Amino acid sequence: MVALVGSKPASSFDDASSDGAPSSAGGSSLEREIAGLLVEVLRLEVTADGIDPEAPLFGEGLGLDSIDALEIALMISQRYAVSIRSDDPRNQEIFASLRNLAAYVGANRPQPG
Amino acid sequence: MPSGLKLVDRDASSVLFRSAAGPVGPGAFLAAAARLAACLPDRPFVNACADRLLAAVGIAASLLRGQVSLIPGEPGAATIAALAARHPGAHLLFDGEGPAPGTLPATRVSLPAGMDEAASGIPALPADLPAMIVFTSGTTGTPVGTTKSWGELVARSRAAAARFGLGGATVVATVPAGHMYGLETSVLLPLHAPVTVRCGTPLYPADVAAALADAGPGTVLVTTPLQLRAALRGARPGPAPSRVISATAPLDPALAAEAEAVWGTQVFEILGATEVGSIASRRTVAGPAWRLYDGLAFRDDAEGVLVEAPHAAPRRFGDLVRRDPDGRHFELVGRPQDLVKLGGRRASLAGLAHAVCGIGGVEDAVFVAPADLAREPASRLAALVVAPGHDAASLADAMRRIIDPVFLPRPLVLLDRLPRNALGKLPRADLLAILDRHLAARAPAREGAR
Repeated sequence: MVALVGSKPASSFDDASSDGAPSSAGGSSLEREIAGLLVEVLRLEVTADGIDPEAPLFGEGLGLDSIDALEIALMISQRYAVSIRSDDPRNQEIFASLRNLAAYVGANRPQPG
Repeated sequence: MPSGLKLVDRDASSVLFRSAAGPVGPGAFLAAAARLAACLPDRPFVNACADRLLAAVGIAASLLRGQVSLIPGEPGAATIAALAARHPGAHLLFDGEGPAPGTLPATRVSLPAGMDEAASGIPALPADLPAMIVFTSGTTGTPVGTTKSWGELVARSRAAAARFGLGGATVVATVPAGHMYGLETSVLLPLHAPVTVRCGTPLYPADVAAALADAGPGTVLVTTPLQLRAALRGARPGPAPSRVISATAPLDPALAAEAEAVWGTQVFEILGATEVGSIASRRTVAGPAWRLYDGLAFRDDAEGVLVEAPHAAPRRFGDLVRRDPDGRHFELVGRPQDLVKLGGRRASLAGLAHAVCGIGGVEDAVFVAPADLAREPASRLAALVVAPGHDAASLADAMRRIIDPVFLPRPLVLLDRLPRNALGKLPRADLLAILDRHLAARAPAREGAR
């Protein structure tokens, strides 16, 4: 079982691709891409750059709710072919922040080629 | 003296529920209900069971004690704490492994060992026995209860079974067991209709795909427009449901057509409300007209339309209807309405605006339901607010404390004044124009984020 804690980089998700790793400037391109998708799909008022990658997504922070959770699951399934199961004990971590969500997607998306 | 209606009216060899622990037939179900009833007090029961089988066992046990079950009929209607406050003598039935919620005396409902023990006989209960009180959110925030008799519930199960011809089907429901729609279709239905209900509440597309695969052939997916869209578009290829039933919000005919084409299935909708229950159905792609369930009838009075149903008092049906001369087919009259439904919750736009105007620093506010609310299941309300002391973030924080999160506006537009006309009214066209300009102004910022 993997535990993501606070702002540690997602090194514990085994990830061969480069776009899951945080860049030296902080934040990965996958993070920014997913931020943009969240803004578009959920019709958020903030800009993608305005989403703090480590802020909570649900409740406070971005203030998302369960309808958004379903839309996010649909989006990452369609866009990245990554599934979320409601019985996955990692869900609370996966959804805890944009950074965690991007790390999960990066680690689980089918690799090209 | 009427002989009463059987608690379960199914073949002895049938399967009512497919639980994680295995199939549960009438004998095992009645044995579980009797065993639970034997250790319960004579009190009304708040039923907080999330599992479909356990919720049914709890309701059956309550009936065997001649008591009523208290159930939140829709999301946000009543918390366990609120029900406990209104019914301080009630006893709580709950399931799962955690501690009992709240502070009422409580009994955990679980599957007893020896489930295949046959019951000694099938109890029959009087049709007029108050079976449950379902709660809706009142306009003042206090939950409002509607009492349903055993006869009313049984008749409605039979009407649904007759309407949908569900013989032999396995119900896979994505909706909660404790709200009226899920209660009718996945908790009460197998007691009197020839269906098997698969326990579990799949949420995400992968969950629904797994549940359909596990359920075997002949499934009926009982769901909502939002969840249907996610299941249809998000799941890995897997078995399609044989039929789909959707409710709680109007289903976009285009989405229904897509489901029928992609899954090779037929998509139906149920129309109903917590107070009156399910009353009508339609095949979405066939057109907007609904057909009343057999045994129900509309009646007019001075205030509008009532629904008459067996073993039930006439109940107000809130939406406007345009009826065919046959009295069975009708359409809902579409017009801008103050009441909206999001995520299964009902709210008044005027009520939301009034609540927001109570926030310090807010001078005026209006909530607007977007035009695509019917087509876009994940739609949100928009709000235009005059609040000189606030920015969008501080106002959103303040709103989060007083209104249900599902109604938090997207977008929230801050203005110097609202476009009230000479009569003080807010023409919808002017509100939509402001929203269009706001969204157009935002688009370049979002484009830059790609």
